Amino acid sequence: MQTFFSFTVSGLAVGAIYAIAATGLVVTFTTSGVFNFAHGATGMLAAFTYWQLRVAWHWSAPAALIVVIALAAPLFGMGVERALIRALDPNDFATTLVVTVGLLVASIGIADTIWWRPQARVIPALYGPFAFVKVFGVRISYQELISIGLAILVAVVLRFLFFRTRMGVAMRGVVDDRPLMALNGGYPTRLNALSWAIGASLAAVAGIIQASGPNGGGLSVLDLTFLIVNAFAAAILGRLKSLPLTFVGAIAIGLLNAYVEGYVTLTGWLSNLEPVLPTLFLFAIVLIVPAARLKAGAARATASLPVPSMRRSVFSGAGFVVLAIIIVQFISSGVVIVQASEGVAVGVVGLSVVLLTGYGGQISLAQYAFMGFGAWLFGKLSPGGSIFGLIGVALVSAGLGAIVILPTLRLRGLYLALSTLAFAELSFFIFFDQQSIMGGGVLDRVPRVHLPGLKLGTNKSELVFECVVFALLAIAVLAVRRGSLGRLLMATRDSSAATATLGGNLNLTKLLLFAGSSAIAGVGGALWGGVEGTVNDTNFEFQFGLTVVLLVYIWGITSPTAALLGGLSFSLVFPQVASHLSAQYAQIGYILTGFGAVALGRNANGTIGQISGIWQDMRLQASDRWPGLAPPPSADPTLDRDLYLGGHSDNNGEVMDLVTATDR
Amino acid sequence: MSLLQTDKVSVRFGGVQALTDVDLEAEPGYITGLIGPNGAGKTTLFNVISGLQAPTNGKVFLDGRDVTRMPVHRRARLGLARTFQRLEVFGSLTVRDNVRVAVEMRRRFTRQRIDTARRTSELLALTRISHLADQRADTLATGQARLTELARALASEPRLLLLDEPGSGLDSAESEGFGDLLQQLAAEGYGVLMVEHDMELVMKVCTRIHVLDFGRMIADGSPEDIRRNPQVQAAYLGDDEEAVSEEELEGAVIGEAI
Repeated sequence: MQTFFSFTVSGLAVGAIYAIAATGLVVTFTTSGVFNFAHGATGMLAAFTYWQLRVAWHWSAPAALIVVIALAAPLFGMGVERALIRALDPNDFATTLVVTVGLLVASIGIADTIWWRPQARVIPALYGPFAFVKVFGVRISYQELISIGLAILVAVVLRFLFFRTRMGVAMRGVVDDRPLMALNGGYPTRLNALSWAIGASLAAVAGIIQASGPNGGGLSVLDLTFLIVNAFAAAILGRLKSLPLTFVGAIAIGLLNAYVEGYVTLTGWLSNLEPVLPTLFLFAIVLIVPAARLKAGAARATASLPVPSMRRSVFSGAGFVVLAIIIVQFISSGVVIVQASEGVAVGVVGLSVVLLTGYGGQISLAQYAFMGFGAWLFGKLSPGGSIFGLIGVALVSAGLGAIVILPTLRLRGLYLALSTLAFAELSFFIFFDQQSIMGGGVLDRVPRVHLPGLKLGTNKSELVFECVVFALLAIAVLAVRRGSLGRLLMATRDSSAATATLGGNLNLTKLLLFAGSSAIAGVGGALWGGVEGTVNDTNFEFQFGLTVVLLVYIWGITSPTAALLGGLSFSLVFPQVASHLSAQYAQIGYILTGFGAVALGRNANGTIGQISGIWQDMRLQASDRWPGLAPPPSADPTLDRDLYLGGHSDNNGEVMDLVTATDR
Repeated sequence: MSLLQTDKVSVRFGGVQALTDVDLEAEPGYITGLIGPNGAGKTTLFNVISGLQAPTNGKVFLDGRDVTRMPVHRRARLGLARTFQRLEVFGSLTVRDNVRVAVEMRRRFTRQRIDTARRTSELLALTRISHLADQRADTLATGQARLTELARALASEPRLLLLDEPGSGLDSAESEGFGDLLQQLAAEGYGVLMVEHDMELVMKVCTRIHVLDFGRMIADGSPEDIRRNPQVQAAYLGDDEEAVSEEELEGAVIGEAI
């Protein structure tokens, strides 16, 4: 009984932290309509800032707490709202995801850059390890009491704020009907800013307590950032609306954690279960969320780059391979060759994102999990690197993709993104992290593809081979886009309600789409593994996956060229840039990606769209002066370039897509 | 049994009763009108029939078959197609591809050999939008977009067409041509159920009219019956004390449409 009581108290204390974090998320989401994937990152930055003041600069605890929680965090939240969130359309979920995940990734980079020196950063417990009270013979530390007390305080204060103050009533009004609130003299934007300030403050409280607890150990950028998944799980129970249910969810997760830790001995495959219990909880809740109703009135045309013809994409693909062969001759650095090969392999994974998100309009944060799976499977299926092994990887990955999406077919938008995020985390802990797979520093051997009659012995020939595979897959993806399946995908993306009323089976389309996209990601993983020779679990941590998705977005989510550029940015450009800077800037790639996503996420056609838009403008200006250079008029004058939001159409409505527009 | 029949369909959104015990029928070869003031529940009823909204109570029969729990796409495959009041064209596709994707869907689920390109051109010609074929659908004027939705709906070769305010956004010449097109379709055997505010069009083409008010079916009959029905007059003028003359009603109803 005593042990039960003790587990319960520690479970309540952990649950209290989740409750504080989750409450902040819900307040922000309900008021502004934007789900903040960077909520945990905010708490992480706050905890590091607190450490800086309290430990590095020897401030007193109260002063440091006040400055971080009451000053820095709310200002940060308001600044983010003003600079990034206010201009977003909450109904455009993909863009809000790109911007807030961009903020998450940028925060990781910023923390890694400011606090770059490897050292243990420990936040002292607020009242030291020996401050405790005894209740029924059980020691309860002050730390635990403070956590529980703070959670209760937050609940009471928010209740008072929402029901007893003018401002709180106004916030509830905004939640109910934003335009009506504005018409009645409310200030929705001011209330949005306030909700982001409150959210950031609560994230800071949760981050600091979590990091300073007896289990805090030391500050870890990633652990604190992804602690948020636990808060997501609690918030989802309240369907992101109800604060009381959110509290219930948080406490339930805390207690579940404590009891499993206390009573269950986890061995073998389940030994890693404990850290993912909240994720499992999230997965379970998301699965019982009722199906998203098909709604009319949600139709939107998404800007997209014109699609090149078969002839042109084959021509571009061949040109790309020839270009690769030529360039490879001039590169003497072995490191660059390997990094470029990795980049092309990641580019193949990027192609799966183009197909899934760019064409299909579905969002998955788990493509990197399929990549890791592909690498592992290729090593198992064909240690000799047979091409049939690669085909096998594609088929099995497709099947796995279909199985994974099956329980979540009903979900769309945010819930789908969260369930794929949960899947990515689960696959990392439950699969990759196993000793028998690639966990615990175990290196798993992955062969290179071996083609009969061809010798791919050198790194250079491997790079060229990967370019060939990329070109073939890109041509295939473009062929799908041009064909009837591609039209069906675009139709479903623009209006799923209309597609269904025409007899389109949305679930089947989605299943095919996820299967195809997983197959491509699996092949990308197999190629990537071949370049490395060996893989281990740290290769597939999921912030990498988030970064790659963002990079494809930044370059232009509807273009295979963007997948290639995204992969090369990730594996070649960023490491090269970092290698020329001091060690402090080793993680500059995160900062560049994060800021890039925040800045460019709003343009659906990405950088490629902008470049081809500028190129088109230059051609038009040139044609004013030298009429001979005029671009051929488009078939229909109403098909103006501007309609494509910076896209570029020539006389056939096609665009050079495999090679960037500037290469023309 | 009618081609379409709803049996005591009710829909409740929280505290709002959107539809109460609505019975409605539509027959092949005829144009049936569904009219009523704004907010009467017409679009909700369309959503129930096409499967986008589950009714709280009641049943929907297509050809005598209970389809109340059938998913949207399977109803479509049984021969139900619709257009939308708030347009749902596929904005990033051209007009031609809007129609073509629907023809392709039909080809897929019927496993028939259909000459996609030819069928698409036929439908564009039938709805008189061939000249817009290569235009992106999100650049169309409302009337053009409505015709695109009609062509797209026809691509699934439905037996029953649900048209949600097809005439709004059309100018008077277009509207007349559109009325002729509808009569042509009915003569070919299509069943048409149409929500419309343009009373001139409704009275001209419909053989039977249902009137919804505050979620209840208050009248049902020929255009002549409906024009004379005092309850309908009251619903449109919000006055149930004084009898209103026929001329006044017509003026008021047409006034609302304008």
